Amino acid sequence: MSNTLLEIKDLYVNAEEKEILKGINLKINKGEIHVIMGPNGSGKTTTANSILNNPMYTKQKGKIIFEGKDITNLKTDEIAREGIFMSFQLPEEIPGVSVTNFLKYAKSKISKKPVKIFEFKEELKKYMEELKMNPKNMERSLNVGFSGGEKKKNEILQMLVLNPELAILDETDSGLDVDAIKTVSKGIQMFKTKKNAVLIITHNTKILNSLDVDYVHVLVDGKIVKTGSADLAKEIEEKGYEQYK
Amino acid sequence: MSKTKLEEINRNIYDIKNKDEYDFKIKKGLTPEIIEEISMQKKDPDWMRKFRLKALETYNKLELPTWGPDISELDMNQIATYVRPKTTLSNSWEDVPEDIKNTFDKLGIPEAEKRSLSGVGAQYDSEVVYHSMREDLAKKGVIYTDMETAVRDYPELVKKHFMKCVPVNDHKFVALHGAVWSGGSFVYVPKGVKVDIPLQSYFRLNSPESGQFEHTLIIVDEGASLHFIEGCSAPKYNKINLHAGCVELYVKDNAYLRYSTIENWSKNMLNLNTKKAIVGKNAKMDWVSGSFGSKISMLYPMSILNGEGAKTEYTGISFAGAGQNLDNGFKVVHNNKNTSSVVNAKSISKNGGKCTYRSQVRINENAKGAKSSVSCESLMLDDISISDTIPVNDIRTDDVEFSHEAKIGKISDKTIFYLMSRGMSEEDAKAMIVRGFAYPISKELPVEYAVEMNNLINLELEGAIG
Amino acid sequence: MILNETPVRTAKNFNINNIKLDSFSMPQKIEPFSNVILSKNGKKVKIEEDTDSINLVYGLGKDFLCQVKENANQKLKITIDENKKEDLQIDFEFNNKNKMLVEDIQIIANKNSKLTVIIKYTSNEQIENYHNGIIRVNAKENARVNIIFVNFMNDISNNFIAIENELEQNAKINYCIVDFGGKNSITNYYSNLLKDNSENKINCIYLGKNNELFDLNYIAELRGKKTNVEIEVQGALTDNAKKHFKGTINFKKGAKKAKGNENENCMLLTDTAKSIALPMLLCSEEDVEGNHSSSAGKVSEKELFYIMSRGFTKKEAMKLMVRARFNKILECIENEELKNEILNKVDERLD
Repeated sequence: MSNTLLEIKDLYVNAEEKEILKGINLKINKGEIHVIMGPNGSGKTTTANSILNNPMYTKQKGKIIFEGKDITNLKTDEIAREGIFMSFQLPEEIPGVSVTNFLKYAKSKISKKPVKIFEFKEELKKYMEELKMNPKNMERSLNVGFSGGEKKKNEILQMLVLNPELAILDETDSGLDVDAIKTVSKGIQMFKTKKNAVLIITHNTKILNSLDVDYVHVLVDGKIVKTGSADLAKEIEEKGYEQYK
Repeated sequence: MSKTKLEEINRNIYDIKNKDEYDFKIKKGLTPEIIEEISMQKKDPDWMRKFRLKALETYNKLELPTWGPDISELDMNQIATYVRPKTTLSNSWEDVPEDIKNTFDKLGIPEAEKRSLSGVGAQYDSEVVYHSMREDLAKKGVIYTDMETAVRDYPELVKKHFMKCVPVNDHKFVALHGAVWSGGSFVYVPKGVKVDIPLQSYFRLNSPESGQFEHTLIIVDEGASLHFIEGCSAPKYNKINLHAGCVELYVKDNAYLRYSTIENWSKNMLNLNTKKAIVGKNAKMDWVSGSFGSKISMLYPMSILNGEGAKTEYTGISFAGAGQNLDNGFKVVHNNKNTSSVVNAKSISKNGGKCTYRSQVRINENAKGAKSSVSCESLMLDDISISDTIPVNDIRTDDVEFSHEAKIGKISDKTIFYLMSRGMSEEDAKAMIVRGFAYPISKELPVEYAVEMNNLINLELEGAIG
Repeated sequence: MILNETPVRTAKNFNINNIKLDSFSMPQKIEPFSNVILSKNGKKVKIEEDTDSINLVYGLGKDFLCQVKENANQKLKITIDENKKEDLQIDFEFNNKNKMLVEDIQIIANKNSKLTVIIKYTSNEQIENYHNGIIRVNAKENARVNIIFVNFMNDISNNFIAIENELEQNAKINYCIVDFGGKNSITNYYSNLLKDNSENKINCIYLGKNNELFDLNYIAELRGKKTNVEIEVQGALTDNAKKHFKGTINFKKGAKKAKGNENENCMLLTDTAKSIALPMLLCSEEDVEGNHSSSAGKVSEKELFYIMSRGFTKKEAMKLMVRARFNKILECIENEELKNEILNKVDERLD
């Protein structure tokens, strides 16, 4: 059985009729942590949204293969059920739907079987303790009135509960203080196994310190211009993106 | 999960059409002779007979409203205003005739009575067919009975309060109600008695081309409290049915009343109902209202805050689908110092349905220190529906805190994408957002009713979302 | 007489569908009015006096329309040519010899043109004046129009004004309306955002005293895609002054991605002042965003205390707070002289 989890082949994507991605190629194997770095507007968020096939972005060319299956044109929910999760940069607020109910429902959709309430709640409690989340948030409406940090932790909680094969973290570290970043990387470590993979999209390298990163890709103007090891991230932190423009 | 749930619920339970069998059905139309006949059939005391005739005169003098939905298709000459079912009032479900009992069984009323209610009244067409209440409440002096019995057994209480809160000349359909009213519930909760489990009256209109005009009169005496639930439904016919009930609520000093309604009339119903409450010193009146059925609804519950420190809260949702025009809202008059009102109104329009939120907040000269905050939210589920917000804010003194907010829009594509990224289909995502939108209302209802409301929402969403 | 009907009726006993003026009767004979100064980029000019025939969608009522049609004593037609830019000011000053003004102002801003126009009505002498005016504005493709409308009429005069705007593709019209009274000051304002991407902003301040009555009936209909309306009304009422504000934002079918915001706030400075508001949102289109908010109440005691603790008398503090509330709206007036004149008027009226 192939070890390849995700493969993006020559992907071109437009947003509002503007060409954003201009030929992305990316291969992620099971057990790997990949990082995409790049300046503002380079297409990082577009890449993440395109994998989940957000209808606000239109694919012009190229293919996305997940576990040997072409998912390029699947609907977002179908892709999610295939096992891809995305942590949002700006998670949506859903008034009137509690975190517990939401997760229980999502879990039943992703795992394609009914959720046992008691076990589910225990699992939830455990993860929330690890992520230093206020247990009262469980009965609050999803993301409504949550602080920036609470929203991001909630995304990580969802990742842990839904336990996908591939987790895409879109700027999950932005706007977080040092302690929160530590908690988030702890969440990622808890999640990570040999069978799954993580794709981290970020601006800064702090979140990478405690993670065992395999590949760093530099995205500039819709193309991956360089791929390297974890050291590449350090280099970019020091020198910026100027050299790639 | 939701999909299978959708299939489980069945609109048919509301649509059970029993044969139009009755003991007596008055001929259609509205004349003094017809009123006399109703009065005779109902064995009214003389004061009530005169009251009815006077109300008919008022009805003839008053004009139809010059605003709101077009109700010109209503022809009173085509409506039978009194239909007596083939049964008498009983206090045991066993004694209720089979077909009527079956209807209420399917609506879940006897089941709810066992599980979550302390008393039930059930009206079928123009008469109450079942009434019962837990014995301990009776021992505490709580009265819960049908309106006719109240007129007979508690004449002083009734005379003092009957159509005093809602005067006959309030508007044309109140006058009509005064002339032809029949059935409804009477509740009296004595001083200091707290009724901790809700009472419920359920109104079912089975007979085609007829009207239901039940009168609900509730008096919650000083320091007492009550939660009253009203449910309504009817099978659908091709011709117009009319509902012009009247609800009068007296919440005395330091008392509390919550009045919840799940209205699911069939979509050939004109629902022109009138509800008012007079709220005493430091008393509180809460309204919870879910409006799903009816072809046309014009319903604006009103709180009159007469006592110092009186409070009221209105939480309501309207859900209009194809062919429906739901013109609902709330009225409040602040008539004393430090009174307060909170309004949370929501509406959902789809498939060409129209929702209107119409309201009035009036803070009078003598209401120093009054507070009022109003929030309206409207959700449009497609581009063929209509949603209007028409609130009047009438502020007549300076020492007030008044604020009003309204929002209108659709479900955001971003939110749908977010939910879909968690594995839900577009339909599921929308249904979840709509249920969340309605949550502030459903959470105010007892669990069984919240479930019923969510079922109604799922039912209404079926086919609307794709 | 009954006038200024709202576009949609609500219950009669809410007393807001129209306004009834008991003690007012319309003057039948219109005397001449000549005290008008027109200046262009600071210099006096003459403007074309033949306007096109008038048809209003709403307006104050038939009588008022007929009077302007038949008896206007001032007619002004302002046409801005394509790609041109103009600054205009029109001053109407009432006095003993000019007591009645019935005017018809028509503004046509052609493609890509820019216009700023100040229209000002002043009555400094304490005599009863009468004003009935119609202002029509047509902003063609990509035109930018700024209108600063200033009503400084005294509190024994009657002021009636009907404004109607039509906006074409990408056109923008901004209004700054300063309404400082009259015994009755009645406004009907209508904007038709006909074509895509057109935008209309209305900033209004009013300040009522004595027994003044304001009836503001603002209506915006959004028809084009991505059209945008913003209505911001800030007012203060003292003595027995009374205000009716009726604001309607109507999303018509086809107005996809349109936005409409309406915010109305009334400061009640005495316990006998009265404020009625009817902020309507009407919607027949799904993909829109509509918001309105409305609030009323007295000046915050905390703020008042804070300002007074800095050595201001209560009256001064009140003035300061009213000015502060208005200042935000007055930001859209670039003419510093006029801005100061308005703020001085605020002080004067609150004395």
